[in-house]
Amino acid sequence: MTAKQRILARLQSARGGSRLPRVESPALQAQVPQSAEACRVRFEVEAAALGVECYVESSVAGVHVRLAKLIDARRVLSWDPAQLPYAAGGLLRAPIQGTAGRTEQATAEIGVTGCDAAVAETGSLVMFSGPGRSRTISLLPPFHVALVDRANILFSMADVFERYRERIRASASCTFITGPSRTADIELTLTLGIHGPGRVAVIIGP
Amino acid sequence: MPTVHLFHTCLVNEFFPAVGFAAVRVLEHHGCQVNVPLQQTCCGQPAFNGGFHDQARVAARHTIGVLEGTTGPIVVPSGSCADMLIHQYPVLFDGDEAWRLRAEAVAARCREFSAFVAEHQSGRLGHLQATVAYHPSCHLARGLGIDREPRAVIEAIDGTHLRQVDADDECCGFGGLFAVKHADISARMLDRKIANVCASGAERLVSCDLGCLLHIGGGLRRRGVTMKVQHLAELAAEALT
Amino acid sequence: MSTFQLRVHRALDDSKLAGALANVSAQLRTRRTLAFQSLPDADAVRDHARKAKLDTLRDLPAHLATFEANLRANGVHVHWAEHAEDCHRIVLEIAAQHQVRRVAKAKSMVSEEIHLNESLERAGLEVVETDLGEYIVQLAGDRPSHIVAPIIHMTRADVGRVMHDRIHTPMTDDPATLGRFAREKLRQVFLDADMGITGANFGVVDTGTICLVTNEGNGRMVTTLPRVHVVLMGIEKLVPTLADLDRLLKLLARSATGQKLTAYTTLISGPRRGGDDGGPEAVHVVLIDNGRSRLMASENAEILGCIRCGACMNVCPVYTSIGGHAYGDTYPGPVGAVVTPGLRGLDGWADLPSASSLCGACRDVCPVRLDIPRMLLTLRRDAAPTHAPRWLRLAMAGFAAVVARPRAYRAATAVLRRVLRRSAVDGWIRQAPGPGRAWTTARDLVAPASTTFQQAWRDRGVR
Repeated sequence: MTAKQRILARLQSARGGSRLPRVESPALQAQVPQSAEACRVRFEVEAAALGVECYVESSVAGVHVRLAKLIDARRVLSWDPAQLPYAAGGLLRAPIQGTAGRTEQATAEIGVTGCDAAVAETGSLVMFSGPGRSRTISLLPPFHVALVDRANILFSMADVFERYRERIRASASCTFITGPSRTADIELTLTLGIHGPGRVAVIIGP
Repeated sequence: MPTVHLFHTCLVNEFFPAVGFAAVRVLEHHGCQVNVPLQQTCCGQPAFNGGFHDQARVAARHTIGVLEGTTGPIVVPSGSCADMLIHQYPVLFDGDEAWRLRAEAVAARCREFSAFVAEHQSGRLGHLQATVAYHPSCHLARGLGIDREPRAVIEAIDGTHLRQVDADDECCGFGGLFAVKHADISARMLDRKIANVCASGAERLVSCDLGCLLHIGGGLRRRGVTMKVQHLAELAAEALT
Repeated sequence: MSTFQLRVHRALDDSKLAGALANVSAQLRTRRTLAFQSLPDADAVRDHARKAKLDTLRDLPAHLATFEANLRANGVHVHWAEHAEDCHRIVLEIAAQHQVRRVAKAKSMVSEEIHLNESLERAGLEVVETDLGEYIVQLAGDRPSHIVAPIIHMTRADVGRVMHDRIHTPMTDDPATLGRFAREKLRQVFLDADMGITGANFGVVDTGTICLVTNEGNGRMVTTLPRVHVVLMGIEKLVPTLADLDRLLKLLARSATGQKLTAYTTLISGPRRGGDDGGPEAVHVVLIDNGRSRLMASENAEILGCIRCGACMNVCPVYTSIGGHAYGDTYPGPVGAVVTPGLRGLDGWADLPSASSLCGACRDVCPVRLDIPRMLLTLRRDAAPTHAPRWLRLAMAGFAAVVARPRAYRAATAVLRRVLRRSAVDGWIRQAPGPGRAWTTARDLVAPASTTFQQAWRDRGVR
């Protein structure tokens, strides 16, 4: 018998099921459908509570201006520019991309990404791994800027799971980013930017 | 006049008979005739908590037999004994259908003292100038979900006021045999409880569990703190005199 | 004094520990309370989560088989480890297969449970813990004392000293600076690592997905940069669907740290896909038994529903008095008092279930409503015949002999009352005889009454 067979056999004969309490569960409150506008507003509130800088731009030009301002003179590590929304990729001058060596990627001072969805209820950004969108971009630099298409702000994580079940399964990874990297391991004192970015900004476009 | 039966508990019987009489006084004030089944001995909780379930069942069978000889409410002036009778007796006989049913029938009739009084309380409950720190015992508050009632009984006494106690829901450290078996941990928990109770500025400490009062009261006495320590029944009876 | 009692004694004497525990526990309790205010149907969510966990355990063999099939379909390698040594061997084989020399580890409680690091280091691998608290613990040669806040027993000065002594950083006690030192030092570890090892907070059966819940970013680092990612997962960590995962995620961070969600919730469903930029070439999941199937056969199977949030230890008056090290093994606090004897057996661990006043605070805060007091009582029942002290077993035998015979009971208690009253002065006993001595170390004992309530009741003439 293999280890798997022995473990499963022990579990079968354990009949733990008979000793486990049986529980009925009450109905969960149904989620009240939220308008896109309500989602955006809620996202802003949650992001602010997390210390995430949230910029809402009503024009593509506004998105570009904001991004340029945040980038300033920083060395950029970016998604494949063609995958950034609002044609923002056009602003970037020869950014380091996820195909570069990791040592080079680690020299970047700002990471620029889009995102696949955002979660209003928690202020989270959702990103799937894939070509042209290395996971390192939102992780290695000390400053991460995410461009969010307003139409992609869902209300809850449950909504994301429902819509993207297949994509979650098909992707190597799906990451929910909820604020900057943090730790409170030392005397419960909050410190930001331990391994991931300590500064996160979101630009929500039209 | 409805008759209620008093399951007085070991601690009342052996250490604090005055609490038993106080409970009777309060119950009579509320229009009850009190009967004391004199064949009762012990609910068996220390044995049960210690892991000696067979021995606990001996006590439980005897107790159930004694209480089955009565009808009507069984009033218990102890959160932990009440929890034992109400919740743990049926568990003790899980696997013995006949005894489990008998246990459930008795359990259904049991009422913890403060909950019974609050249920039958209307209007005010005597007069007494006093400031009170209330200690919610764990079996009472968490096991039985009884917390509002003892506080309501205290507040129904004219001239008596409840003082806020920090972290009042934290265990005092009695835990029955735990207080002896792990006396040092118990003592540390007691330190915190006494500090919080004293910081409330109350003159009296009141609880519905004599185990907790034995432990906290003994600790106060050891530290030379003069704070009156009473069971809720004693407080109420004093207010009625 | 048992080993446990010696550890307790040492802990209670440590005033610095007492301060740290009081401070941290109070803060985490408050944060949890505040966080739950943002979850309006918390009770229903907890009931759902409890049901999801218990139902999964009830059908664990089927769920494990489906999970494995789905993982495999996603390109993940699946291994099964019965005991600690099996897991060591499997990880070493994977390391050899991928020519691994350097390992970067994110936090994994099960890896501590099986003492994996020592085994890897003995085989010549370089292993670095990258979770800040675990990194400090590793540098100091210490052990974590809380499952979510591993170094709550250390002050900031302690941490500064450890880093100064071990990695030669300038002496400081400023947490932000210490964090920066760790970031700089560990950045190179991440970039150089050949293998990343993590635990798994949850395994989603339906999609063959591993869920990691982290705050620092090291979890993402070690699952992105190294060529190989190894997941160590207890067999009980499964949840059926993403919808169930959502409910558990609503509860985990709130219960653990008072956050709605941690900074990073990572769902991993396989190695890099063709065309992906970056990501591991291979993902291996090691499903670990190590005593869990034994627990499943016991009356305490329910404890396997634990989601490792740590809320129970934050509210436990025993844990906040003695700290995590006193529990002697990987999992401290109320959950530890059930899990340790459950996984390791009662021998050597029988003290843990008795070191509780059964106050029930843990059950009140547990996100999946585990009935820890019930499980402690079950362990005490199992331990009593073999591990209870002789005086107690004799006392219980005596008790059972008289408790159903009122006259004999009254006679026996009369003797006990007389003995105690002999030591009394002014109605109080300052030093009780026999086992009672332990009582009077910290408190006086009121002298028993000369007349029992029953005697007085009878004398009142009322029947």
